[in-house]
Amino acid sequence: MTRVAMLIDETKCTACRGCQVACKQWNDREGWEYSKTVNTGSYENPPSLSPQTWTRIKFTEYDGPDGFRWLFLKEGCLHCGNPACVKVCPTAALKQQSDGRVTFERDLCNGCGYCSQFCPFSIPQLEVTNPYTGEARSSKCTFCQDRTGNGLLPACVKTCPPGALAWGDRDEMIAKGKARVEALQAMGFSNANLYGEAQVGGLGRLYVLAEKPAAYGLPADPKYPALADVWQSIAQPLGGIALGATVLGVIAAFFITRRNIRMEEVE
Amino acid sequence: MTVKLKGTERDVVTIRWIPKYTTIERLGHWIHTTTFVPLAITGLILYMPFLQPLAQGEAGLLIRLVHRVAAVLFGLMPILYFVVQPRRFIMSIREFMFDKDDIGWVQNAFSYYLLGRHTAMPPQGRFNTGEKMNGLIMCVTWVVLGVTGLAMWFGKGTMPAGLFQWMVLIHDVAMIAAVCMFLVHLYLAVAHPLMWAGLVSMRFGVTSAAYAAEHHARWYYGPKRARQLYEEAKKKVASEAGH
Repeated sequence: MTRVAMLIDETKCTACRGCQVACKQWNDREGWEYSKTVNTGSYENPPSLSPQTWTRIKFTEYDGPDGFRWLFLKEGCLHCGNPACVKVCPTAALKQQSDGRVTFERDLCNGCGYCSQFCPFSIPQLEVTNPYTGEARSSKCTFCQDRTGNGLLPACVKTCPPGALAWGDRDEMIAKGKARVEALQAMGFSNANLYGEAQVGGLGRLYVLAEKPAAYGLPADPKYPALADVWQSIAQPLGGIALGATVLGVIAAFFITRRNIRMEEVE
Repeated sequence: MTVKLKGTERDVVTIRWIPKYTTIERLGHWIHTTTFVPLAITGLILYMPFLQPLAQGEAGLLIRLVHRVAAVLFGLMPILYFVVQPRRFIMSIREFMFDKDDIGWVQNAFSYYLLGRHTAMPPQGRFNTGEKMNGLIMCVTWVVLGVTGLAMWFGKGTMPAGLFQWMVLIHDVAMIAAVCMFLVHLYLAVAHPLMWAGLVSMRFGVTSAAYAAEHHARWYYGPKRARQLYEEAKKKVASEAGH
């Protein structure tokens, strides 16, 4: 199956935040953050992703050579082609579908939080439901798995008024994004670029950016955490072998010893 | 000793018991056991892919809770031992120190414990080399598991993710080392015929004098006499081998 992707044209985003609302509505996320607005010196709200906010528009006040400008970034899970969160998830609550979507089944999650610590973008948010028992669940954008799994558009794409969001075959989205970047460069945005084509196995969330990724706070070269592989692909099998070998060794030692030591000789 | 039983003469084994562990030490040992086993089981459920169904959802929440409750007791136990019986604690630590007789024990252990050949064994203190190795692994992993475990418990989100990833990896490696050592310890304690007195002394606090004389000569006789007996035993073995 070919991969799907979301193309986000940040040069068309007006920061209306309709995507934030549509996301909460479809995914049954609470809106309580809006009643507790805090002034962080910016128009952005809420101040960060949270268990209740799977996508949000990040505001960057950019002071470039042409003067002050807003840079908007629609944050959320980037659906890596090589997702470390799936690799380290001990419950298979996080899965990579054959079309590349990294989906999440809340019922399977036990709240260990490894995904949040191995994500190269720090996206998964741990929802602690009981601080005393540590009861928690992970949460993140699933590309509206129940919609996209049934041929519908993700809620944010469906709602985006300026048409900044597009959804479909990943190769088509890349071609579309590259064409847009060329058009932007022709218009004088010399730093325009397409983000996500090759990073971490190719991202499922592609950004058309007017400035360099760093200006948006995006890592230019996000790294898949090598320790995820060292842990899951090396330490885990070796540990299993060590445990199995110890059990077998102890059983073998028992029979060898029983053959060689007569109980009568032991006081 | 020979006694008359129902008209026939029969050999009866008489055992003279000498104290080895205090009540606090035995209690501590069993708290250690009853917290280590649930910790290992709940930890392995998260670790072994084939146990994944047990790690999912509500069951997973429960095993994570059990793991942390057991971890608190597991972590506190050695500290309580130190607080309640500091002199015994320090004495035990001293007796767990390695010395040159441990090399001889390692060289002889295979034929002695596995093949049952009663070769001359360098005199051992209150703990033999095997017990010392078990103690070393348990002490090191107690520290490592405690530090990495607390970091994972309270440092999630506040400590750098890269450091957290190391904590997870180190925690798992230490767990494997501890569980492997535990399996060997369990076998020697409950199933090895020569080690029959180990479980008795951990249950009742006493050990057989004859057992102590053979397995812990330096503790039973004192270093000087134990050394003398060892040299004699060595000569005897050598002369037997010569024939």
